[in-house]
Amino acid sequence: MLLPPRCIAAARNAAHLNHTFYRHIAAVRNVAFRNAAQLTHTSSRLLSWPARVADPHSRLQAYISTSPNPVLNLSIEHFLFQTSPPGSRILFLYTNSPSIILGRNQNPWSEVNLSLLSAAPRGPQTEPPDLGAVALVRRRSGGGTVFHDGGNVNWSVICDLGEFTRDKHAEMVVRALRELGVERARVNERHDIVLDQGATRRQSDTEDTHRTPWTDPDAPPPLKVSGSAYKLARNRALHHGTALLGSPNLHVIPDYLHSPAKGLITSKGVASVSSPVGNIGVENGAFEDAVRDEFLRMYAADVEAEVVGEQMLEVPEVKKGYVELKSPEWTYLQTPQFTFSTPVLERIASGQLREGAFTMSVRYGVITSISLEGLPGTLELANFADRRLHEVQSWKDFLHGLDLEVPVSHGHVSLPSFLTSAFPPTSMCI
Amino acid sequence: MGAFRAAGMQRRGFAVAAMLRVKKYTEDHEWVELGEDGVCNLGISKYAANALGDVIYVELPELDMEVGFGDTVGAVESVKSASDIMAPVSGKVVATNEALEEKPGLLNQDPEGEGWIAKIKVEHEEELDGLMDEEAYIKFTEESS
Repeated sequence: MLLPPRCIAAARNAAHLNHTFYRHIAAVRNVAFRNAAQLTHTSSRLLSWPARVADPHSRLQAYISTSPNPVLNLSIEHFLFQTSPPGSRILFLYTNSPSIILGRNQNPWSEVNLSLLSAAPRGPQTEPPDLGAVALVRRRSGGGTVFHDGGNVNWSVICDLGEFTRDKHAEMVVRALRELGVERARVNERHDIVLDQGATRRQSDTEDTHRTPWTDPDAPPPLKVSGSAYKLARNRALHHGTALLGSPNLHVIPDYLHSPAKGLITSKGVASVSSPVGNIGVENGAFEDAVRDEFLRMYAADVEAEVVGEQMLEVPEVKKGYVELKSPEWTYLQTPQFTFSTPVLERIASGQLREGAFTMSVRYGVITSISLEGLPGTLELANFADRRLHEVQSWKDFLHGLDLEVPVSHGHVSLPSFLTSAFPPTSMCI
Repeated sequence: MGAFRAAGMQRRGFAVAAMLRVKKYTEDHEWVELGEDGVCNLGISKYAANALGDVIYVELPELDMEVGFGDTVGAVESVKSASDIMAPVSGKVVATNEALEEKPGLLNQDPEGEGWIAKIKVEHEEELDGLMDEEAYIKFTEESS
């Protein structure tokens, strides 16, 4: 199989990052990429990568990705989680292009404003700024929805379940941040990393990663800069976290993470807890270096960080996870069961409005029932059942011209328009 | 084939049946307990329930689903952690513990009793032979922590 040009592009991207650590590894890998590109078959180095990950003697491994593809990076991470040997500790660092990453057991329709994910330009500049195509990915770990972009470095540590605690590696990242002079960083009670907002410096133990000189219960709430999530399986534990270093998009994140259907969806599964967020203000490369150094210090060893990227798609197990993660079945049909219910209004002959309720139940991403209450004899809706919610292309057609309106904050909108904004066809969101 | 074997077992009486009901554990911290009818109960161990912390969501397998050895048959979420529940045996899901959908906390309160997850009609009983008994499992958890 001929390696595609994207491998070279990935190497070039890495070289653009103006940082010593990155420059060093990029230089090493540029040679490997060039050599690989000349071969007509997957290079032996690539074939040996899975074996090296699985090597029982590889007790400490560190990787950094050159790919901005969230699906690929999560798939490489999952491969490391599944393949690395018992007892080993793995560090993986990656940065994604703009994307929204759902927790394993979350509901995309209640967590995300899906109609904003379209790549198409959305009219005049007075609209909320749009980022072009934003990927939607359901990750394999638990927790809430997060936004990723180039100003956010994801760090991930894999170890045995027996030595795992939820704070251990968040504390590692706090120590790395403090090495970079970020003295306000600490781990909070939700295992996230926050920056304290106290006004005055107080006495504090510098070794305490759960307290800073600016910890002050009376100060404005700390800003969350890193959210944690975990995956536990086969006696291994994966802890990954975001690190908001310099995202230019903080002001639009709330637009993306506010669903028009929120409040109308009653769902099992996991709802996100929203927190005020902030940027740390550190360069990506400096952060990557500091985290790697702290990881190596923590486990008293010295290994070189290996660069991974698009070429890992050649590894069948990575590809398999990639295809699964990218599928609409994974993204949508894995949604815990939920019910959507909204008041609806019908205009009757006298010009008056009659109020009813439109209710839709969804299990495994499939509509199991739709009902209309309070509006006598309007429609027989049973035949709408068993459709996959994300595959409904036109709510107008789907509802056979059912002429109802939904009350919203600024008046009324038609039921099909409202449903289209809350449950857009998936072609609109990737 | 499983049905024939199950019928045979029932005739053998209590002593054998009691032996067959010995609980076995997996390295993934699940427990299985095979009944005389060839159906085994599946759940997660107390050790796993402790490691998970407060369980807030349990995804149960679909009824009648055919599962293979090592397949994911469910998911648990606790304190931002997702864990898979794997099938340590092949067979068919014949019951799920729907009480967990309303009260996921049962998994913490009584993981090896009321917090069972599913019942699987076992296809190859010999798959259970490779699993650990309680003593071996306790040793396993002590060694890995």
